[in-house]
Amino acid sequence: MSNEVTENGVSRRTVLKGAALGGLGLVGGGTLLSSCGDDKATGPVTFTARTNDETGLKIAQALADAYKAETGIDVTMQGSGDTNAFQDGISQYLQGTPDDVFQWMAGFRTNFRADQGLLADLSENIKNLGDQMPEGFISGATNPSDGKQYIIPTTWYPWGLHYRKSTMKELGLDPENIATWDDFMKLLEGTQKKGLIGYAMGDKGGWEAMGTFSILNVRINGYDYHIDLLNGRKKWTDQATIDVFNQFALLIPYMNKNFLDISWDGMRDLLLAKKCGAMMMGSWWANDFKAKSQEDYDDLWIVPFPEINPAYGRDSIDAPVDGVSVAANGANVEGGKQFAEWIGSEAGMLAAQAAGDTSLYANSRLDTSEYDAFNKQKLAVIGEAKNVMNFLDRDCRNDFAGTIVGPAIQNFLKAPKDVNKIVDGMQEAWDALPPLE
Amino acid sequence: MTTTAASKKTRRRRAFSRGDRFTLAMFLGVPTFLHVVWVWIPAIATIGLSFTYWNGVSLSNIRWAGLANYDTIFTASPQFYDALRNNTYWLLWFTLIATPLGVLLAYQIDRKIRGSKIYESVYYIPVVLSLAVIGIIWKFMLGPGGLVQALLGYPEIERAIPIFSNYDINTYVILGIASWRHIGYIMLLYLAGLKSVDPSLREAAAIDGATEWQTFRKVVFPAMKPVNTIIIVITVIESLRAFDLIYIIYGTSTGWPILGMLVFVNIYGQAASMLGAAYAVILFLLSIIPIVFYLRTVFRDDVA
Amino acid sequence: MSGIVQDKKYRDRQKRKDFFITVFIAIFAFVWMVPLLWTFWTSLRPYSDVIQNGVFSKPSTLNFQNYITAYDRMDIWEYLTNSFIVAIPTVILTLFFGSLMAFVVTRYSFKFNLYLLLLFTAGNLLPVQLVYAPLFKMYIWIGDLVGNRNLLYDSFTGLILVHVALQMGFATFVMSSYMKTIPKEISESALLDGASVFRHYWNVILPLLRPPLAALSVLMTTWIYNEFFWAIVLIKSDNKRPITSALGRLQGEFVTDFNLLAAGAIMAALPTLLIFFILKRQFVSGLTLGSTKG
Repeated sequence: MSNEVTENGVSRRTVLKGAALGGLGLVGGGTLLSSCGDDKATGPVTFTARTNDETGLKIAQALADAYKAETGIDVTMQGSGDTNAFQDGISQYLQGTPDDVFQWMAGFRTNFRADQGLLADLSENIKNLGDQMPEGFISGATNPSDGKQYIIPTTWYPWGLHYRKSTMKELGLDPENIATWDDFMKLLEGTQKKGLIGYAMGDKGGWEAMGTFSILNVRINGYDYHIDLLNGRKKWTDQATIDVFNQFALLIPYMNKNFLDISWDGMRDLLLAKKCGAMMMGSWWANDFKAKSQEDYDDLWIVPFPEINPAYGRDSIDAPVDGVSVAANGANVEGGKQFAEWIGSEAGMLAAQAAGDTSLYANSRLDTSEYDAFNKQKLAVIGEAKNVMNFLDRDCRNDFAGTIVGPAIQNFLKAPKDVNKIVDGMQEAWDALPPLE
Repeated sequence: MTTTAASKKTRRRRAFSRGDRFTLAMFLGVPTFLHVVWVWIPAIATIGLSFTYWNGVSLSNIRWAGLANYDTIFTASPQFYDALRNNTYWLLWFTLIATPLGVLLAYQIDRKIRGSKIYESVYYIPVVLSLAVIGIIWKFMLGPGGLVQALLGYPEIERAIPIFSNYDINTYVILGIASWRHIGYIMLLYLAGLKSVDPSLREAAAIDGATEWQTFRKVVFPAMKPVNTIIIVITVIESLRAFDLIYIIYGTSTGWPILGMLVFVNIYGQAASMLGAAYAVILFLLSIIPIVFYLRTVFRDDVA
Repeated sequence: MSGIVQDKKYRDRQKRKDFFITVFIAIFAFVWMVPLLWTFWTSLRPYSDVIQNGVFSKPSTLNFQNYITAYDRMDIWEYLTNSFIVAIPTVILTLFFGSLMAFVVTRYSFKFNLYLLLLFTAGNLLPVQLVYAPLFKMYIWIGDLVGNRNLLYDSFTGLILVHVALQMGFATFVMSSYMKTIPKEISESALLDGASVFRHYWNVILPLLRPPLAALSVLMTTWIYNEFFWAIVLIKSDNKRPITSALGRLQGEFVTDFNLLAAGAIMAALPTLLIFFILKRQFVSGLTLGSTKG
């Protein structure tokens, strides 16, 4: 009972869908300056970008510079260093002397820290953004335990099958028209036959393969089952869950053999180097393709994961929302809030866009009609789904997702035959979790 | 006897002026305070916390859990047994292979063969490197595009075969890398010890027809008792404390779980829980054995 | 007669044996050096060269460009400086406190001497993970008490103090073992002269401790320099990281440019290698003082 996480997807999945579809036709209004009251914003602000990658840092620096140009307030930006390490140490980071503003992720990862008093309440700032912030994103950013928001949504992205159009063309394959699992297997086989990796995988970080697990689960058992499973209302030992793992095992022969030696960036590099066919991943790294060359970026495409069980079709998708949070222990909390609000505002998003950020923005003022082809496709991929999820490690308790699910999937990939033993272990671990405080 | 002792005592008591007493108190007090407050109090606190549920943030959230964390580890954490197995492998490998090799190497280099000084340095070089550097160096050897990959016929990065994540061999790979450092360490320790053994003893034993092994066992080994003790302790402690190398190679993923990493992941990671404290206590209890053994050997004379 | 024959036979046999052993040890030594040599070789080549022509290709250029780039892009110099800002005070304080403890427990016979020595030595051997979580809380708490949370957390001071607290045990142990070999008479005469405790330590004992102090300082500098765990958990700011823990981050950031990373790794290894080659004698005796005289 007490192990359950109150998921906030219910309202979000319907409203967000509206945002995605409506967004396509939405024409941006005039460039209004952000509504933040300059009277409160004082003193320099510090800002941590959740990346150590050149493109991401460049965009974060552009935000800092644009804010300085607009308000005269100094923003010191720094990279978080290794992203996984930053995420691992986030609780200690926030208890110490964190930067005022940091890039973060909506969902359990935010709500849990908010409940511990480590994050500043941003409800006022969300309110200030007014109609710039669509309802769906607000409800997605709302902490169910107090109804407040602790993150300002900035960007989001779908999880789907990524590939390079040129590669598939050369292979004579057409991923756009994979409707069923059989089609998909044929595609993987076709890719592999030509000497490429069929289904790129890099699960060193422990979370990358969760994306494949989640999508298989919603395809086979549906959205409700998936959310129930992540919240302890269904069991890992249920046959329905085991079926998902067994389906997962069918993909292993098409993966690169060193999937536990490389992380998500290793997968991205495989795709960049045209060494693999399909890759199941969120599209946040599309910026890196653009940074390499426009040609590479134009070659990139995404399609939804194929249908498996006709009862559920392709009605669900992982589309996590990223944003900025403000540390309660920061040196300049008020200034941080102002800056965070500004990042989420139209001005902030335009600054990011100008610096080469190709993301889908949460802000409704951004002109989606001018989105490039890839972004329109991303919106379409999200738009076709009825249910939107945050991603497994944001929809689930941190002390289960990171420490239990991650290693369990890694162990499964190592030895798919041990599936029964693995799910037994997962269920035991779930049952042994302490109540959430 | 008694009188001398008594007179000594009086003399000393007289010698302790107020200033001296203050000096002595500072001499002992400052280091002891630092050591106790920085090491022992946190260590004891961790032991206490291992019996609680806590996420490491607010002190008011600490809740009594009894043995629940330990119960979870022993009954619901398959990783624990994987880690225990890997630490045991590490210990066995070091005890049965790496340490004897280091001793053998020392024993042979001690024959004053030509260039022994150079060899000594060569074998010792890995020991002065940090484990972070060692991890990176071996990634250059074994990772994609590495020398070993190329020698095996996979020079292209995308065709690289998995070595660190090949679960049939990665235990040996990790232990091999760890040995690269450990063997030199043991060698140098033993070599220093051997220098204090009279070489004529060895020669005499050999002339008397003793085999090399007999000479080692009957003559050299017993003379090396203090070094043997420290080598045993280093071997055991290093096997249990292993962390840096695994962190550099596998990050916090479960590539090759060991106890030190489980403590880290559970106590420091985003899932901070006192499961980590319980892991730390288990690690502590395992380390206590060599610590007590060591202290007993070293301080036996003082106690007697 | 027979003794001489046997002796000659023995020597011949030994010579043959020595030859084989030498050959074996030489080959083994070469293998031992391969990883380091390979890393060095890698660091001299540009990344593009390896990518285009393969790992075994004849290098088109061999130079120190990677070192210059690493120096510029990786802030190696800053990290190296940080390492020494931490290591040098740590070693000085550890040796100072260690010598105080060793002095008192060996020169004065207090009842608790042995227990103190036991406590310190055992503390040195504890797994560091056992200490971490409460220490982190304590650092934040002490910081808040004085109104500066960065007093110990994310600061060189905090890092230095935890190193000193842990390493003191070893220094105390080694120096007390050494001091037991210093004749008691030296102290007796100092006491008879009416020297104060401080002068007894400073003028009589400390000068005699030169050999273990020299040895320990060399050994400990490399230990602290190589230390990894505390720097990752206690240092938040990238510009305060010592080189060893910064390498972990650089590894992630430059993962695709092996050759640059190789240059960084070699630069990180250089200080300890230099210390070792220049001060090898001190280094070795530091390791063995604790064991052979114990």
